[in-house]
Amino acid sequence: MPAILVEELQKVYRSGSANPVKALDNISFEIPKGQIFGLLGPNGAGKSTVVKILTTITTPSGGRAQVQGFDVAKEPLQVRRQIGVVLQQTAVETLLTVRDNLLIYASLHGMEKAEAVKRMRLVAEEFELAERLNDTVYELSIGTKRRIQVAKVFMLDSPVIFLDEATTGMDPIMKRKVMERLKNEARKGRTILLTTQILSEAEELCDNIMIIDQGRKLAIGTLQELKSDVQGANLEEIFLKLVEDKE
Amino acid sequence: MRKIAAIIYRDYRQRITNIGFIFWDLLVPVAYLTLFGTGFAKSVVNDNYMSFFLPGVIAMTAFSVAMNTSWGFFMDKDSGIFYELLTYPITRRQLLLGKICFNVALSAAGSVLAIAIGVLFMGVQIRWGFLPLTLAAIAVTTAGWFFLMSIFAITLNRMDSFNTFTSVAYILLMFMSTMFYPIADLPSWFRWAAYVNPMTWQVDILRFCLLGSGDIFWIILESAAFAAFTIVCMAFAVRALNRAA
Repeated sequence: MPAILVEELQKVYRSGSANPVKALDNISFEIPKGQIFGLLGPNGAGKSTVVKILTTITTPSGGRAQVQGFDVAKEPLQVRRQIGVVLQQTAVETLLTVRDNLLIYASLHGMEKAEAVKRMRLVAEEFELAERLNDTVYELSIGTKRRIQVAKVFMLDSPVIFLDEATTGMDPIMKRKVMERLKNEARKGRTILLTTQILSEAEELCDNIMIIDQGRKLAIGTLQELKSDVQGANLEEIFLKLVEDKE
Repeated sequence: MRKIAAIIYRDYRQRITNIGFIFWDLLVPVAYLTLFGTGFAKSVVNDNYMSFFLPGVIAMTAFSVAMNTSWGFFMDKDSGIFYELLTYPITRRQLLLGKICFNVALSAAGSVLAIAIGVLFMGVQIRWGFLPLTLAAIAVTTAGWFFLMSIFAITLNRMDSFNTFTSVAYILLMFMSTMFYPIADLPSWFRWAAYVNPMTWQVDILRFCLLGSGDIFWIILESAAFAAFTIVCMAFAVRALNRAA
């Protein structure tokens, strides 16, 4: 059983209106356990919509999707128990302290307080937040807010992680740390789906890559497969070729 | 239960970090009671007005607390946490329930404060035996207002739209009800508007619980109507949360 299975997924926004928007058009893919999967595409390609459906924020208009064998539309709560999510928009409790952000996140995921405090210390150390635990998030920089958001995911042992442009706004040192951590987590068997606009990041991290545009799949495969199929020297060339050819 | 407790704790932490909320939640209704109530009682009507007005102030507390808690959905949207919350292993119902619990606790605290001021400083005499029923009424009615406000807080995308809605609702619901004055001698269109206004039902229920005034049959009818109003609003609020994205 793959960690993530997506079959002919469709999403139409404003379906009842005169101007429906087809965000996803029969997208299919699967991600085996322990893989890092890159979902790439230009702005508005439908990447975030895929993430929103797989994380149960929204429901598909057609097709089906499963996470760890649970159907996202029929068993959303079971899906949510399997996932950790970093969304594209910075998501932190701005009026609360860094400590409260981490602990409340853990308790909302059902973690015991003692365990949450132990993990909070570890992730705070790793993400250089230890000195900031009592600071109110409101006063912190965007990069630090992003660090808190990513750190929250590592408070949990959820088998599947979704990262929607998670490293945006981070400094290169922290970005490097996060990338190393993701590689380690995948080696331990966690499955990671990431979207990014930084193609070098995807090139370095991802076992498999899918490029989409206007809700449609353009290509899927390992970096080597894409290089030979699309005839590009690197991911940037492949990406540009596919997206510009389509236009 | 732990997850609901976490939602309550989250709301509590958000609230105590912002003095403005505490002002609106607890002090504005008390200010109405002490300033408007005293002024109106001494210059326009009579000393019994304080007794008449106290249940209205409690209704106002419930409404203000519900309004501020539902406004929290906008804060969550602003901080980006709203959509992340929807990926947590909690149901939409649990999310609303946690918010309701905090809401009710705060509303009860505000009401107790208003009752204490009314009894200790304004000479209001209440039916102490009916206090548990009063608190139950406060719980249900606060929940009803919270669900109503949440529908709009979740559905509307712009904060100015939501603020306009709440301001209009605040004025219409409070002034077209029995909160500030009896409606018996008012024009018939006004009376009919007040009869179908849930704020009137709430104030009448609280007035019955605290002071024993009102016809019991009418109060039962208004209680049933408010319960139905709460259930309908809850259904729409859950639906709005389910369709939030």
